[in-house]
Amino acid sequence: MKYLLSAFVFTASVLAGCSGLKSYPNTSAKNLDIHTRTDSGSFLSSTRASLDIFSVNKACQTSYQGSVTLDKETRTIGLPAERPSYLVFRFESSSFLANSSSATSYDTLLTPLPDRHYDVDVRYLDGIYSVTILERTTGDRKANRIAPVELKDC
Amino acid sequence: MQYRIILATVLTSGLFAGCAIHHPQTAAEFRAAAPGATFGKKESFVVDRQFDDVAHTFEEQAPKCLEKRVKMTESGHMYHHVVVTRYTPTVLVSNDSAELHLQFEHEQGVMAVSEMPENGYYLMVADASRLADNKTQIDMYRPSMGYDTIVRAVKGWATGDNIGCPDLTK
Repeated sequence: MKYLLSAFVFTASVLAGCSGLKSYPNTSAKNLDIHTRTDSGSFLSSTRASLDIFSVNKACQTSYQGSVTLDKETRTIGLPAERPSYLVFRFESSSFLANSSSATSYDTLLTPLPDRHYDVDVRYLDGIYSVTILERTTGDRKANRIAPVELKDC
Repeated sequence: MQYRIILATVLTSGLFAGCAIHHPQTAAEFRAAAPGATFGKKESFVVDRQFDDVAHTFEEQAPKCLEKRVKMTESGHMYHHVVVTRYTPTVLVSNDSAELHLQFEHEQGVMAVSEMPENGYYLMVADASRLADNKTQIDMYRPSMGYDTIVRAVKGWATGDNIGCPDLTK
């Protein structure tokens, strides 16, 4: 009976597409456009990008809020204004032939200001990755590049 | 990943130092050993970019991109191999020169067989020197095979054409 129950839970998890990662609730006002481009540089491997979002309290402690799969050219999400969020952009690569996988990440703190919109350019091209964050006043075309801020500098 | 493990084993086994047991313990020793080593080389070029900009990019990008611990896994029918590598960059800037040192240490999965300097074996040294006419001389002492993404990234930081981070798992 125990085995049957285990099998049922396992099957249900698989059918539910249980990946172990929580989807980001995305309930705040939309203020962040993420533009993603990935190319592993080889037809024998693939690279997927995703974003893990953490809230940060006054003691600089992080709390995982959820993840966003960056599988579309542009994703729009909302981060709470005037509160720091810790963003971890993850690039996961897998090789079809060698049955190997690897991951690397780029992280930064971001405290969105009200009435500002943010464009994030996420690129992984043939082993070189970059994350560029631009800030602009809503309705203004001029943008300023936001320098990355480490969690330890919170 | 097997290729990377084999290459890393070769590099740490002393072949990089010309089959000697002694492995470069300082950046100066690495500069002297790399050009004549089996898997090392020196590459020099001039970039149309101010020295101060190159030095600033080294200072900004190296800690952000290279100070990392990387875990790679590979599994098959009868095996599961995990390699954990810690990379440590150091940037030294003076009035007319900048040095970028990159060292690595395998914390799991690859055995070190020669004396290792503090912060790990030297993998690369990139020197930038101020030239006239807003140009900068770059001298890279680096592996002659493998680690292509790191080499391309550091070249991008020097030229300013592609300021990205290398995927250290490649």
